[in-house]
Parts: sequence; structure tokens; C-alpha cells
Amino acid sequence: MALPVQERWDLVDAIARKTVTTGTHRQTLGDVLGDLTVRPLTGISVAVAVLYAFWSIFSSFAGALVTDGFMVKAFDNYWLPWLQEVWPDPASIHYFLFVGDPLAENCFEAFGMLTSGLFVSIGVVLPAVLIFYLMMTVLEDSGYLPRLAVLMDTVFHRIGLHGYAIVPAILGLGCNVPAVTATRVLETRKQRFIMMSLLAIFIPCGAQIGVMLEVIPETVGWVMLYLVIGFGIFGFVLDRIIPGSNPEILIDVPPYHWPLWDNVAKKLMNRTKSFLKDAVPFVLFGVLIVNVLYLAGIIGALADLLEPLFVIWFGVPKETVGPLVAAFLRKDLAVAQLSAIAMTPYQMITSVVLVSIYFPCVATFVVMLREGWKELAAAVAVLVATVFIYGGLIHAVGILMGVA
Amino acid sequence: MNQNSTTLSLYIGLLGLVTLAFGLADILVWAGASPGFSVGILEIAGDDFFRWAWGGAVMVFGGLFMLGGVKSAGSLEQFGKAVLGAVMVWIIAGTDIFARLCESIPAGEEASEFFNSVAGFVGGFAPPYSPAILLLPFTLVILYFLVTGRFDETRE
Repeated sequence: MALPVQERWDLVDAIARKTVTTGTHRQTLGDVLGDLTVRPLTGISVAVAVLYAFWSIFSSFAGALVTDGFMVKAFDNYWLPWLQEVWPDPASIHYFLFVGDPLAENCFEAFGMLTSGLFVSIGVVLPAVLIFYLMMTVLEDSGYLPRLAVLMDTVFHRIGLHGYAIVPAILGLGCNVPAVTATRVLETRKQRFIMMSLLAIFIPCGAQIGVMLEVIPETVGWVMLYLVIGFGIFGFVLDRIIPGSNPEILIDVPPYHWPLWDNVAKKLMNRTKSFLKDAVPFVLFGVLIVNVLYLAGIIGALADLLEPLFVIWFGVPKETVGPLVAAFLRKDLAVAQLSAIAMTPYQMITSVVLVSIYFPCVATFVVMLREGWKELAAAVAVLVATVFIYGGLIHAVGILMGVA
Repeated sequence: MNQNSTTLSLYIGLLGLVTLAFGLADILVWAGASPGFSVGILEIAGDDFFRWAWGGAVMVFGGLFMLGGVKSAGSLEQFGKAVLGAVMVWIIAGTDIFARLCESIPAGEEASEFFNSVAGFVGGFAPPYSPAILLLPFTLVILYFLVTGRFDETRE
């Protein structure tokens, strides 16, 4: 039965009287701090400090404490010697596939499925991903992430995105797999395509960063600088050439509050579980497949075929072709392989940047395919063009600086 | 402006200046102005871009925030800036202490044990210290005002 208009308004008033309380709002210190962290001048300084804390804690925990402190010792002093001792027939194919080089003294150089594969996934990547997601969740649940989205809105608008693109961008620094799914926070197909392409090309995952910090710590800063510059340039270009709209959005900024530790624990557990399920099998089987490709001579043949491109255009040794093929399976493994090749520091920077901007790892590839094959095909086309142009550009910069 | 507020302003101003100076020193030592700087228990190694250039920039911002909050430090808005400045110092000092903690727990590459001895662990926290760690106790005054709520003269 429909109520007459007056009775309807009376009902609204009655509900409002019971549910709405009014009073004068007194500004608190939390409000002032919340306001200061979204104003550009003060907010950017705070963002610089938060990112500093983020990476400092990341490298201290994952690098110094877990990987260098315990995992390297456990794997190199106990696991590797034990495997080398008990695994039969060091000259056999199965030894090469599972244990790797019989003369290797550490798991990074062995390149077997149960040596390098297990060490990279459990010893290096897992602690990196764990601490990354813990800090990400704390930032998210404390109310800082929406403020970062407001701050970054203007910057992301220059490349056709909006502030919430910071969510997949930061998630991608952990693992590109959930980051691709997170591109759904963006409004249009154009925005999702741009973000997906930039993620696949210019955002190194936590696994890769973890390995970079482990094997080439002195060049990580330069690699990241090249990637940030590339992210801006190619985002700007993609925004200009891809048709579609970039709508404005309203961002809801909640007040600062302490995270609920139950929620943090649940999110951390879900994200880590998803990483273990989606990414770790690819590391293990990645090593196996790369070893098979080496045995079959396919990587050697590819190295010969692509030698002119790599040596002349990119300015890196032809031995880097192998790690680039491995990069399709796992980029972290590829960086580990690159560290074993004799190169100049600039060649190392170039080749690690190439690994980063080269094909996304196969796990990301699968998730991108789920988002649509047309998007995936277009992203691959953008990627091939980007690798060619940007790789050549970095070489040219090196020549101009006299270091290439 | 009452006496309490003037004293607070003066204190925050001085702390801001010292923080700013330390931040600039971090950056300058990293940039090569000195091969490394050490006086008593203070040390600026300047050997790493991330820690000394980026971390130094955070200290500079912290100092500037505190100086920006000097005028009428007793008001909520201005005190908020001083708190943000102190937070910057806490971030750098906190991450420095966390780094020492993470390095002190394992026994080290050469040792056969996994865990460090108690003496080795405690030794990991011995001087020299970075400027941010040395400034940490002085910023606790801001924390005191924050916790007791004595900063807000408009409430009086």
C-alpha cells in the first residue's frame, strides 16, 4: 500500500530523528594530519618518506634478515651439498634438470629445479612477497593509500589514468598477477589496457626486485630510474594513440585509523596463498623448461639468430639471449642468470632493464589472457615495439655518456 | 600566545634547524663533499644513495616541516606540521634501528651457526649512530605534547 506524500515525509523525519545525530565538529590532530598528507606540497614529501620506509623495511627484512641471514646459509651449506651427494649420476640428464651444475658452490649458480628453483621461490621471493604484502596491507587499512591516490591523481591523468591506478601499480611491485586483476578498479577499457601494458612492461615484481637486490644491488637504482622514465614516456604516448575516454572520478578519503590486525592477517594470508599457488609452480617448472631448452640446443640457436640485434642494437653480450628466454617463464630467474654473465656495469643495467620490459612472465600472461585475448595481443604488440625502441634508446644514452 | 606555546615554538624551531642541517649533511656527504663524516658517536657514512641521499631528503623535509610549524606552535594546524616533521625523523631513525636489528639476529656469513650470540646481537646496536637516531630522543618532546594534549592552546 502506497503512503501519501505527507506521511512519507513524516516517516522520513521519524527515521532521521532516530538515526541521525548532529553536533558541532571539532577539528582533531588526525584531521590536520589527514589534510596535510593530501596537499601537494606537504603530501609529496610524506609520500617520499613513506616509500623510503617501505623499501628500507623491505630490504632489511627480506634481504639482510631472511635471505642473507638464514636462507643462503641453509640452501648453500646444507641443501645443495646434500642433494649433490645423494642424487645419483652427476653426468645424467635428470641430474642436470633437477640439481643442475654438479660443480656449483651455491644455489644461484646451480640452475637445477630443486636447487635454483627452490632457492629463488622459497629463499628469495617468498620473504620478499610476504613483507611487501604486509606493508601494503597496513598502508591500505590505515587510510594512507586513498590519500596517495588523491596525490597521484594529477600525475596519472597525464597518462590517461586516475589516482586509483596507484593500487595496481603498487600491487605490481609485489606480483603482477593480482595487479592485472586490480586494473578493474579503472573505469574504461582504454584505461585498463594502458595500465595492463605499463604493468607488464615497466613494473618489476617483488620477486625480480628481491633477486636484483641480492645479486646486483649497486645497479638497482639505475634500473628503477630507467623503468620510471619509461613508464611516464610510454604512458603518455599510449594515452595519445589509443582511442577511448578518461573519465574523472571522486575518491572517498577515510580518516586515519589503526589497522585491524585480524583484517591485516587475513589479507596477508590470502595474498601470500595466492602467490604460492599462482607463481611458485611457475618458478619450479620454469627452471625445468629452461634446462630442457638448453639441452635441446634451442637457446643456443636463438642466441645465434638474435646475436646482431642484441650485440649491435641493445649493446649487450649474445649470452643474454638465454636469460631473456627464461624471463618469459620467470623474470627473477632471468636476473639470477644474468648475474653469472661477464658484462660491464652499463651492460648489466641495460640487460636487466630489458628483462623487465621484455614479455611478462607466463603467470601474468595467463591472467592477461583471462582479461581478453584482444587486449593481450595489443599489449604484446606494444611490448615488442617498446622493447625495440627503449632498448635501443638506453644503448644510445650509454654511448652518449661514454659508458656503453 | 602563552609562555608554554613560546617555549614549544622555540624548541621546535631549534629541532627543525638541527634536523635540516643533518639532512643536508647526509646529502652532501653522499654527494662527495666528504669521504665520510664521524664525530664521537655520530657517523654519516654517505656510501649509499638510498640511505643518505633519499633518507637525507626525508630529514630535510622533516626539518622544513618543523620550521613551518614554529609560528604559533600551540595551534592545532601548526602543531600538526611539527608532528609531521617529527614523524619524518621517526621514519629514518626507526628504519635505521630496524636495519641494525635485522643484521644483528643472524650470525653472519662466515659463522657456522645460524643465530648470533647475545653479545654479538647487543654489539650490533653499539655506536656510532646516524643523525636520525641521535635526534630521536629530542623528538620525543613532541610525542609528550601530543600524548598529553598540551599543544592545543585553543582548548585552554
